[in-house]
Amino acid sequence: MKNLIKLDNVAIGYEKEVFVDSINLSIECNQFWGVLGPNGSGKTTLLKTILNLISPVSGNIVFNNELVFGYVPQNEKFDPIFPISVYELVSMGRYSRVKPGSRISQTDKSLIEKSIESAGISHLKDRTFRSLSGGEKQRALLARAIAGEPNILVLDEPTASVDIKGEAQIMELVKNIQTESELAVLMVSHFLNTVSEFSDHIILVDKDNNIFQAGTKSEVLKKESLDKFFGLNLNLN
Amino acid sequence: MESLSEFLNSYFLWRDPMIVGAVTGAICGFLGVYVVLRRIIFVSATLTQISSFGVALSFYLEGLGLAIFSSLIGPFALSLILTVLAAAFYALKRDFTHISREGVIAFGFLLASGGVIILGDRITKGSHDISTILFGSAVVVDPMDVYLIPSVAVLVFIIHFRYYKDFIFVSFDTESAKLFKYPVRRLNTLLLITVALVVAVATRALGALPVFALLALPALSSLYLTEKLNLVFLFSVIIGVLSAVLGYFFSFILSIPTGASIAVCASVFFILAVTWRQIRTSI
Repeated sequence: MKNLIKLDNVAIGYEKEVFVDSINLSIECNQFWGVLGPNGSGKTTLLKTILNLISPVSGNIVFNNELVFGYVPQNEKFDPIFPISVYELVSMGRYSRVKPGSRISQTDKSLIEKSIESAGISHLKDRTFRSLSGGEKQRALLARAIAGEPNILVLDEPTASVDIKGEAQIMELVKNIQTESELAVLMVSHFLNTVSEFSDHIILVDKDNNIFQAGTKSEVLKKESLDKFFGLNLNLN
Repeated sequence: MESLSEFLNSYFLWRDPMIVGAVTGAICGFLGVYVVLRRIIFVSATLTQISSFGVALSFYLEGLGLAIFSSLIGPFALSLILTVLAAAFYALKRDFTHISREGVIAFGFLLASGGVIILGDRITKGSHDISTILFGSAVVVDPMDVYLIPSVAVLVFIIHFRYYKDFIFVSFDTESAKLFKYPVRRLNTLLLITVALVVAVATRALGALPVFALLALPALSSLYLTEKLNLVFLFSVIIGVLSAVLGYFFSFILSIPTGASIAVCASVFFILAVTWRQIRTSI
């Protein structure tokens, strides 16, 4: 299986403050990784380190030469003052393959349309992004992420602002996209149930207790380690 | 109060200021969309004050008898240098350890404003009335401005035509732009330098108040008029031109200060846009 990202003895944090160290991780094609941890545990820092948006405090990260990220950030991060349409938003996902100073081609435009269709939001493409509901925004962001034909999809709390039905629909969509495009997925979530249902690999991270555990679902989702991690007496099915 | 026929008969008097005002209204209206969307309205206010300070400093040095210096660095050049340096500083230095970014913007604004007034008090040449620098001149513009300001506007429009998608991208989603290896700092700096360039040439010709008004109010009005980004730019340009042209017209007819007249006209468009939005949403 093709290796996309490899973290070798990496410490994450900001400047000299180390959140979690000794991180060894290898993300390969077709894997679905779920990242779990309490609020302020360092999940987003780990995500941004993997995205190469912040540098690791120490250690090495090796990226595959053909790696293209599709990124779904938390939708609250966008300033609602911008009257950006859904079509314009999805177009931005294509910019991973369009250089600064260049314009998008007809091929790019047809891929943007296809991404909008795949996300089931063709009827929303002329609406402003800011006017959409939480679930619609997530679909638009997913369309944007796949418009760049990525080989890894990185999602930061994709179901944080949606109800249970919306969460199920979003996760089904993510799973379908992964299966159809044979992508790797790295998803940060608060929800143990969602992560355990859809992921085949799991990362537990908690900077306060310097915990970093990564492996297959069966390796990580053990009652003792989860009870200790969450500080609860969990009933695992 | 002048009549409309007198206004039309005085074509030779207002033609040049009107051209300069209309072009300034168009380019400031266009750039103002970025200024408003990036929430840096007070950076533009600070840049207009710094530009005024450059003009006042040049006149002050000329008044001291430093003619050699003055011929080397005239009002335009000094204003341009100071404004571009300030724009580059605000574009590149985004994180301050002990104070907010707004605090640093306010510091620049107050220092430049105070400096303009102090230098204005010391300028000996009567023709360089400091209120003209700050609030704009009605009747006279430098003949060079009739060519300089449209040339700068064309240059800035060409840059923005080429980098439109990139400027919108880095303004809306800096994080993804960094992820896609876009040169975010260079694009931000280029964007602010185009604002600084326009501010420097327009402030010297029109004054700080109308330039600030044209950078802020047409774009704010347009955001109330439409939900489409490309139309926001178009409406902002149109409102910028109308504000400047009507500002000159009322200034001439009513014998009121031009800069203030332009600012009030732009404010009236803003009030109309807000009212229109209120009516539309209540129907």
